[in-house]
Amino acid sequence: MCSMAVTPAATPGTETPTPPYLGRSVRIVGPVANVDMNQTPHPKNSRGELGKALFNWYRNTISRDPLTRVSAPNHFADQRNFLASVVNQAPKGKINSRQIPVSDPGAMTRHIKAVAHHMGADVVTVARAHPSFLYAASTPPSGARDVYQNRSGDVYQGRTPAQMTERYPYIIVATTAWDYEKLQAHRHYIGDAAYHVSQMKAQLILKALEGYIKELGYAALRGMSNPQAAGLASGVGELGRNALLIHRKFGARIHMPDPIMTDLPLVPDQPVDNGVEDFCKICRKCAINCPTNSVPFGDKVVFNGVEKYKINWLTCYKVRPYMDAHWGSCLTCATVCPFTKPNVWWRSLTVWALSTCPIPARPLLVRALKAIDDRFWGTTRQTRVRWLGYDSGIKPGEQACTVAGCTAEHGTAHAAEPVGNLGYYAPLKENTNRFVKRDA
Amino acid sequence: MALRASWLKVPWRRADPRSRDPYWDFFINTPPADRANTVLEVIRQAPEGNVFPTRADLHSPEVTVSHVKEMARYLGADLVGITRLDEDDAGHPFAVVCAVRADHDPREAPGIGGQVPVQNGLFVTFVLSAWIRELGYRASTTASVDGARLAVAAKLGTLDPTGKLVTAEYGTRVHVADVIRTDLPLTAA
Repeated sequence: MCSMAVTPAATPGTETPTPPYLGRSVRIVGPVANVDMNQTPHPKNSRGELGKALFNWYRNTISRDPLTRVSAPNHFADQRNFLASVVNQAPKGKINSRQIPVSDPGAMTRHIKAVAHHMGADVVTVARAHPSFLYAASTPPSGARDVYQNRSGDVYQGRTPAQMTERYPYIIVATTAWDYEKLQAHRHYIGDAAYHVSQMKAQLILKALEGYIKELGYAALRGMSNPQAAGLASGVGELGRNALLIHRKFGARIHMPDPIMTDLPLVPDQPVDNGVEDFCKICRKCAINCPTNSVPFGDKVVFNGVEKYKINWLTCYKVRPYMDAHWGSCLTCATVCPFTKPNVWWRSLTVWALSTCPIPARPLLVRALKAIDDRFWGTTRQTRVRWLGYDSGIKPGEQACTVAGCTAEHGTAHAAEPVGNLGYYAPLKENTNRFVKRDA
Repeated sequence: MALRASWLKVPWRRADPRSRDPYWDFFINTPPADRANTVLEVIRQAPEGNVFPTRADLHSPEVTVSHVKEMARYLGADLVGITRLDEDDAGHPFAVVCAVRADHDPREAPGIGGQVPVQNGLFVTFVLSAWIRELGYRASTTASVDGARLAVAAKLGTLDPTGKLVTAEYGTRVHVADVIRTDLPLTAA
């Protein structure tokens, strides 16, 4: 960490005092300008800055799938059928005037983690807040705290990130993992269901946890912090080549919803080393499988003062409207990641072996593990999943009923010929390779 | 702590770490000072969404029953049953009854923690009823319908003398979520 001398950032109020340690996968090497929430992909798109196709996909598309219409943001037929919109638009409660005294922050940390787990969270960690984690707080002339679509009209507007982290020193990251079996049918409505249902659940848990912290008599602020930064600092995982946090137990299949910033006295967690850094240097499975070639094959780059793998979010985003009739969320990079495995003993043993292995010896172990992964899970995931009436073995658009015991009339009748035991995988990659150049 | 019936559980197993948590009682038993700090009210009072104008291509009623149950379990219900409704003002022929495991009876534990089973139940019933509406059929959730009685009719368990549901899986440690009344073509258990 030689070149981390901090020079004043361009925007006043965005200087980062001492760069936080975020684990081996991400290094802060220069001044970090706070991210402006309004310049992130979804807000850009909702303003129409990414073109008509994406705008219409985001704002004017009703999904053909009933489950997507109740679980995915922005593709509902009626917003009232979408739980997250009800939860997120709920009025905020008041902080309890009778504050519960906290004599032992360690006990309170264990309590908050137990509470979140009791509500159904799979991962709960506490990060020490750092000004660089926060979204930009200073767009002249208003000095308003910019959160998503500028909907925050709260008393914290106008405070600098440094003031905020001093006043609210902890960030609670609580999240859910999505279902492993259903994720195998990613690029399909089944994978979408796994993703979106657990996302709704995470939003419900965070809202309830936010309310509970206020009942304890402490502040709980949302829309403040970049979840990935807080997740890295608190040891949720390491940042992979696919730009996703990779968790020790769940791999890349965890959500990173909006965390809670609080002044509740807690004990922060530390960044972890799960061997992701060593694995991603060699593996490249996500880059090979990415249908849009958005995941880099090359080395880390420095972006906004942070050294990390940088994906091309725009090409990743642009595939969505074209796939809208068949699925909503790609999730290829999360699914093929060798860390994404069921949470069982042999996976725990492998990650333990990798994370306790001396760092110079890791490349050898990684190559062996990668070979095992390719041999048994395949270089491309093509598992056929059947769930409810869905079947990932059927080409999207074909209306064939393969449900056992179904005697209903379906118009186009039941599937005539048996389809193999492979999941149908649209030949996207082949199409993309014709006109998108890989970076290395 | 009571001994579990299963002989595999050793009687001297470690005490629940929650019993040593100084704040756990507050979490379970202290009612919230501001109702807006719970998510229960806002979900209960949310207006019902529209029924999707085009009905989905359904399988036979038996298969639809298995799908509804599978979906409810996926959303977090521990027990699901379906029963026929004899008298219903809106003319819904079926009721889907979901129950979730409850470490504390929500009627006796008013804290945010004590109400977690209700929260989990509301998640299931909200999404499940919304999904049925998106399939193109009517579905409404009501807290007023006598859930325990319908749960017995749906063969989830029996009633004890105090009117609480007793199930084979969880005993009385179960919370019956709001009943979903629907005209989705189903068959009763």
